[in-house]
Amino acid sequence: MTAAALVSIVDDDESVRESLPDLLKEFGFAVQSFASAEEFLASGRMEETRCLVLDIAMPGMSGPDLQRELMRRNQPIPIVFITANEDSSECARVLLAGAVSCLIKPFSETALLRAITKAIQTG
Amino acid sequence: MAKDLAVAPVERVPPIRPDYLLVADSVPALIGVIAADGAVESCNRAVLEYFGATLEEIKGWTTSKLVHPDDIPAEIARQKHALETGERMLSEHRLRRADGVYRWFQIHGEPLRNSEGEIVQWYMLQTDIDDLKRAESQLAGEKRLLEMVALGRPLHEILDSLCAFVEQAAPECQCAVFLIDPAEQKFDKGFAPSLGDAYTGPLRGVPVVPGSAPCGAAAIHKTQVIAFDIESDPRWLGSPYQSHALAFGLRAVWSTPIVSRSGEVLGTFAVYQRHPGSPTQIQQDLIAQFTYIASIAIERAKSDNAIRRSEAFLAEAQRLSSTGSFYWRRTTDEIICSDETYRIFGIEPGTPVTVKLITSRIHPDDLQRFSARVEARRTDGSRAEAEYRLLLPDGSIKFVHLVSQTTATESGEMEYTGVIQDVTEARVAAETLGKLRSELAHVARVTTLGALTASIAHEVNQPLSGIVTNASTCLRMLAADPPNVEGARETARRTIRDGERASEVIARLRALFTKKTTASGSIDLNEATREVVALSMSELQSQRVALRLELANDLPPVIGDRVQLQQVILNLLLNASDAMSTVEDRPRELVIATTVEAADVHLSVRDTGIGFDAGDPDRLFDAFYTTKSSGMGIGLSVSRSIMERHGGRLLATPNRGPGATFSFSIPREAQDVLGAPGLTDRHQRIMVG
Repeated sequence: MTAAALVSIVDDDESVRESLPDLLKEFGFAVQSFASAEEFLASGRMEETRCLVLDIAMPGMSGPDLQRELMRRNQPIPIVFITANEDSSECARVLLAGAVSCLIKPFSETALLRAITKAIQTG
Repeated sequence: MAKDLAVAPVERVPPIRPDYLLVADSVPALIGVIAADGAVESCNRAVLEYFGATLEEIKGWTTSKLVHPDDIPAEIARQKHALETGERMLSEHRLRRADGVYRWFQIHGEPLRNSEGEIVQWYMLQTDIDDLKRAESQLAGEKRLLEMVALGRPLHEILDSLCAFVEQAAPECQCAVFLIDPAEQKFDKGFAPSLGDAYTGPLRGVPVVPGSAPCGAAAIHKTQVIAFDIESDPRWLGSPYQSHALAFGLRAVWSTPIVSRSGEVLGTFAVYQRHPGSPTQIQQDLIAQFTYIASIAIERAKSDNAIRRSEAFLAEAQRLSSTGSFYWRRTTDEIICSDETYRIFGIEPGTPVTVKLITSRIHPDDLQRFSARVEARRTDGSRAEAEYRLLLPDGSIKFVHLVSQTTATESGEMEYTGVIQDVTEARVAAETLGKLRSELAHVARVTTLGALTASIAHEVNQPLSGIVTNASTCLRMLAADPPNVEGARETARRTIRDGERASEVIARLRALFTKKTTASGSIDLNEATREVVALSMSELQSQRVALRLELANDLPPVIGDRVQLQQVILNLLLNASDAMSTVEDRPRELVIATTVEAADVHLSVRDTGIGFDAGDPDRLFDAFYTTKSSGMGIGLSVSRSIMERHGGRLLATPNRGPGATFSFSIPREAQDVLGAPGLTDRHQRIMVG
């Protein structure tokens, strides 16, 4: 049995970091949560991350900031953005910048699973 | 000496013994003797000297001019009557003095009877009453003029009469009174009934200077000016005045200033003569007396005018301010009212106003209170203020504000003076304004809501997302084989928690944006601030604004409307955030701080934004002034009015560094010494700490 694919979650909202890993584990993924982009960059787990579930609006470095930083570092981890903001222009911007998907909270487990699966396949 | 005096003219007066004659000659009075048939028999020396005539001439008095021709017929009739009846003679007539002047005399004739009782002679005593007569006539003239003044007759009528009277007393003279316009220093209207407007008209508007006319000189020097002959007087030689006076045949001009009690020159009194000359003593006395009466008349007319003006001014002020006045003497029921009071009560002007009539205009709901007050006012005497509603006969309702003051008259009676103001418009306006203000506050709140839509959606979506995720996880755990009951329970708990979090957000929103009427209560400003911050957190985050709260510990509560104060805080917070939206070269920092300053609680919101022009901190609060193209200037204006209604102040100050600080102060809750738990707590803390 191959090791489960690692999905990394970066979100400043604690309830997301609590709930999302449990669901993704149910799907059979390995999950790692981070409270900020900076924490993720410092974690050393970028290489093994097959999919990044990333919040758009965060204090300090925002989701799009991290997306640009990974491009700059030439580490194109497939990204599924999640946002509680209904502003669709923000979604469009990150998709144009190469994100796999952009989910608006609250999202269904089906939508999430489809997006993550697509991301892992892309990668 | 006595012998020297007893001289010639006594040729033939057998009944008079020489010693009597001697006595008669030494008396300064005029004494004559006539026969029983009326023929002049003799007279004393004073008579001859007065007339400058011989006894023979005197005997022919009925045909000469020794007695004033106008008086002769009456005198003859009177003597005839006396001779027939034997009644004592008593009459007045004018006798011509040696210099041709007629003077008034009183004649007193006593009959001399023989032993049989027949009249044999009449002794006539003539007393000079000319001065007395003149004084009487002058007094009558003065009396008539003063009566006219007292009765408030028009000034032109009084001055015309005055001139006419002086002209009658001094028939060789003509008179004029000229008024002076003190502001312009020009001659105003002139009054000269015998000379007419043709004479006075052209002098109107002539400047009051010595060179203009004798009257100008008299007014300027405040002294009488005598022009003996205007034709040759060097002072006005060749002046327009000279030719004007000469054209009317006037030669002598005597001008006297008419001076008020306070020393102001009101006008001049001019007396003219058609031949050159100076005033005689009699004329001078007339001039002095009637100049004085003219000053009384003019001053009175001026003060009447001033009173009329001030009355008109008062009436106009009453009308403009919808304020009427009234006066009520307690012992009677009659109330004296100004026109505006009549108007306010809707009473026909001139109608006698009684307490009963006023009472009938009071709104039934206020009647009891009013009547109780009126009864109390009959006995107590102080200043009172009250507001009542009136119900007028046409069905309209008015709000009136009534203030009255008691005073005691000299006789000890109580009098009430009062004012009544129609405040209906102000009342209606205040109500309308209140409604408008609340509408505006609501509109401003809804506008703010629009700006917060994204933030609010974020706040709600966040817990919803948790709920969906947790519920999905929960189902999966339960469906597993074997079911992960413990995990499911944990996720279900989180679902509930997120659900509560969502409902809290909704509750906060509802509190903040529902249209509610003002509700006052005790508020913890720190807590109110935290709630607002919670709602706008994501908005600030998306604007990449770093927020710092510096909330004072133990902040005393304030009294106010929680929702309205939160609206102000939210407004300041969003404004600050907007002000930093274009800032890229420095951190976007926002500090909300609360402090206690003496009796006030202070809240400030400091940003590092674009700031504002220090010249216009006041304009910032104008309803539609904004430094932002898409801004909501109305928010600041509404915020300011909210603060003012809370007895507080909203201030804007530029920071020393970049940005601005908006702050407000609001009085802390009144500290009731009895039973104020907050106060006791604080004291304990101070003692402990």
